Amino acid sequence: MQTTLQNPASLSEQTPSRLVSFWRTFRKSRTGVIGMWMLGIVIVMAIFAPLIAPYDQSSSEFVGIEDIYNPPNAEHWFGTDDAGQDIFSNFVYGARISLIVGFFAAFISIIIGGVFGLVAGFFGGRWETFLMRFTDIMLVIPDLPLMVVIVALTKPSLMNIIFVIGILGWTTTARVVRSQTLAVKSRKFVLRARAIGADKRHIVTRHILPLVMPILVVQAVLAISLAILNESALAFIGLGDPSALSWGQMLNYAFGRGAMSAGAWWALFVPGFGIVWVVLGLTLLGQGLEQVLNPRLDTHHLMPGRPIVRDEAQAKPDSSSALLEVRNLSINYVNDGKAPARAVEDISFTLKEGELLGLVGESGCGKTTLMLALLKLLPAAGQIVGGNVFYEGRDLTTLTEDEINTLRWSGISIIFQGAMNALNPVRTVGDQIAEAIIKHHPEQSRSQVLGRVDELLELVGIAASQRDNFPHQYSGGMRQRAMIAMALACNPKIVIADEPTTALDVMIQAQILELLDELRKKLGLSVIFVTHDLGIVAELCDRVLVMYGGVTAEYADVDTIYNSAKHPYTQELLKAFPDLTKPKKKLSSIPGYPPRLDDLPSGCRFAPRCPAAFERCHKEQPLVQSVGSNEHRASCHLLEASK
Amino acid sequence: MSTEKFLEIRGLKKYFEAGRPSLFSRATNLVHAVDGVSLTLRRSEVLALVGESGCGKSTMALLLMGLEDPTEGTVIFEDRDITHLNDGQRKDLRKKIQMVFQDPYESLNPTQTIGEIVAEPLLVHGMADTPDRDERVKKALEDAGLKPADVYLGRYPHELSGGQRQRVVIAAALVLEPEIIIADEPVSMLDVSIRAEVINLLADLRIKRQIAVIFITHDLGSVGFFADRVAVMYLGRIVEIGTMLEVLESPQHPYTKALISVIPVPNPRLRHERTILQGETPNPIDVPSGCRFHPRCPVAVDACKASDPPFIPLTKTHQAACLLLVK
Repeated sequence: MQTTLQNPASLSEQTPSRLVSFWRTFRKSRTGVIGMWMLGIVIVMAIFAPLIAPYDQSSSEFVGIEDIYNPPNAEHWFGTDDAGQDIFSNFVYGARISLIVGFFAAFISIIIGGVFGLVAGFFGGRWETFLMRFTDIMLVIPDLPLMVVIVALTKPSLMNIIFVIGILGWTTTARVVRSQTLAVKSRKFVLRARAIGADKRHIVTRHILPLVMPILVVQAVLAISLAILNESALAFIGLGDPSALSWGQMLNYAFGRGAMSAGAWWALFVPGFGIVWVVLGLTLLGQGLEQVLNPRLDTHHLMPGRPIVRDEAQAKPDSSSALLEVRNLSINYVNDGKAPARAVEDISFTLKEGELLGLVGESGCGKTTLMLALLKLLPAAGQIVGGNVFYEGRDLTTLTEDEINTLRWSGISIIFQGAMNALNPVRTVGDQIAEAIIKHHPEQSRSQVLGRVDELLELVGIAASQRDNFPHQYSGGMRQRAMIAMALACNPKIVIADEPTTALDVMIQAQILELLDELRKKLGLSVIFVTHDLGIVAELCDRVLVMYGGVTAEYADVDTIYNSAKHPYTQELLKAFPDLTKPKKKLSSIPGYPPRLDDLPSGCRFAPRCPAAFERCHKEQPLVQSVGSNEHRASCHLLEASK
Repeated sequence: MSTEKFLEIRGLKKYFEAGRPSLFSRATNLVHAVDGVSLTLRRSEVLALVGESGCGKSTMALLLMGLEDPTEGTVIFEDRDITHLNDGQRKDLRKKIQMVFQDPYESLNPTQTIGEIVAEPLLVHGMADTPDRDERVKKALEDAGLKPADVYLGRYPHELSGGQRQRVVIAAALVLEPEIIIADEPVSMLDVSIRAEVINLLADLRIKRQIAVIFITHDLGSVGFFADRVAVMYLGRIVEIGTMLEVLESPQHPYTKALISVIPVPNPRLRHERTILQGETPNPIDVPSGCRFHPRCPVAVDACKASDPPFIPLTKTHQAACLLLVK
């Protein structure tokens, strides 16, 4: 038994290390890169202070009375202060002090907060109660007054200041780390590590820490900026280390020694600008890092597809009896810089009233893309590049966003894959069904809407008394029924069900299938049933469209598909399906994996896995052609050979 | 195949506490997740444990792995009582009993490479420095069907497909050369076309390495070719157990019959009447009186509400717990 990587071309390329791939993503974050530069400049300035500063900070040579509060000039770029010293030099050296305080204090905060958060999150129980209550108490005590008290009581040396800022700044980190630890701890790979026999230390260092680390890095960046601000505040109110001239201290001196009355704005502006610059840089950097490191901030936009411009004149549907006719539909995903991924190519099918069409294919074969395109719900990168979608004689691909909006839900509705697990947990199920009705029929009164919700619930086999229950009070099967009720809310003619039974047990799956079949009979509904499970299709559907790698493999009525399939892919899929009537038979499997849509083989997309492939299959993509009668179509070179 | 019993489970129970029925009540609600299960497993045997969600089959897996502590009952492995062991005592045992989890997307740490994942069990068991470590890792990967192993070592889980990830999980379980693999719904998250591959892989391993497999699934349809014996669970108990052919071809318990009737048959000409049980598995806090299955049973009689049916031996290997089978 052998398998190949999904993408043979990738065999040659090395997987980049985590650091390299991190840098590649980070580079794209504009805020992060700007922040990095802003901080970088200050760090370089601090490190090379003796080379950059034109005057030695400690020397008061050549200072005379005429040098006090000189405005910026060629000799003193940022002017001079009350002691006649060069502000630019002080500014450069001050960066050192401010950054040292920031880095070390943040280091202390991160260590304390990280350890508290990890211990509380990982061990739970009493440790958690104790540590988190302590954190809560620390959180409600205002930091600055406490710092003032402590620093005032001890000697305001640089060490003390770092220490005080450090031990008071860890609370947020502790809370964030704890919640991340809890989230990671409950993941299956931690359970698997326990099953291997790993002890706690191993689990924390190998499994928890690597996933907490990104958050810790972001927290560290923010802690540095907080520490710099706190140090400046302390210094400004006179609690800085008098021997270490930080930016805060510069502000304090300028403010206390008459810079305002002397009109020496530069003495205040320069250190103030430094603080703002560094804090802003750190904040931007933190934001950039967070975007790259925190996967929860990944956004998936579901936006109307880009408008398409085509020269063809208005096309007309072929058959007037069909409710929905998809003709030669092709969809590309725009891939910045690279050639677009041909996700769906030249797909045609028809759907009659009351008909149940099964759309079958493996994950990643373009099934969901095709369904989203029917309602123009493709993600921003998706683009319909050819073909038509006729619904009741109108071409949906040419409609404007407003026009199609009225059709969504009231003409064609869709049950998204996994949507039953995406119900809003804090609103009742009835409320969420009502939302769809109100959106399309704002004129209905509250009682009319509720009546309709009850009616819908009964229709899908849920007692109306359950209307005001929350999703968590529903079982998995009931949530899926509720999703069906939601899809039926505006009396659509077509319902698209995307893998509606995939996560359900066989018995519940049978219940849902029975329900869909009933609804079709009762309401004359047409259903497109998207699935990877051929067994379900055989039980339920009238016609079947088998997709492979974005193209039609075979399209026929259900009996033909199961008893005289022409495409090798359909035949292989059927062989891989366990047949209870022959329990002793070994299952055959299709070697390899479906192609990636951005890396399609040159000839037939199934050729690399096809047991019957010959030379031509690897060179030339077969066209979809009719086989016999009864709208049976397949795309395979073997068909021509046999003709 | 030897007939020696090497894993024996007797009267295993696991009750979870689930809060109090009301604020002022002292007693706590108990979830009867596993409620008296007895089973034996022979060396290199494949036993399928089948049932709907909430029947306690996954809890069974956690109990056998020692990831949950049983409330009652004993588990005996190679003549040693392993019911209550602490982590230290269990560590050696873990080399012999490994688990494959349901969700290959969740059960791999995204920050580890495939090589690190498969080598991790060796590291945990202090075998990371042995000279044959790399050999073992590669052999496990290749036995799990990931050939050539070198290609996969440096990759991360997100670069692999679901089927490949499940093979990595299996490779990580194989690297310690276990005697039992407990597979909890190993194929339910995979495409049908990939399921056959993973099942065939487990079947091959059992022949090549004499590994016994406890195959936990909700889909009776997937156990056909692979399992030697099938145990059907309902609400914490086994209701029918027998050889694969006995259970699939002449099921005796009405629950087993219903489960078999809803398995999709991949041929529209064989569409048949299905016994679709209404509702779902009852809440294991309030277990129904008498036979647990009676509220959903299509053939229940009055007596079913009152008495808990005993196991009725039907053949030497086939037993079912249903009052209607009492002669």
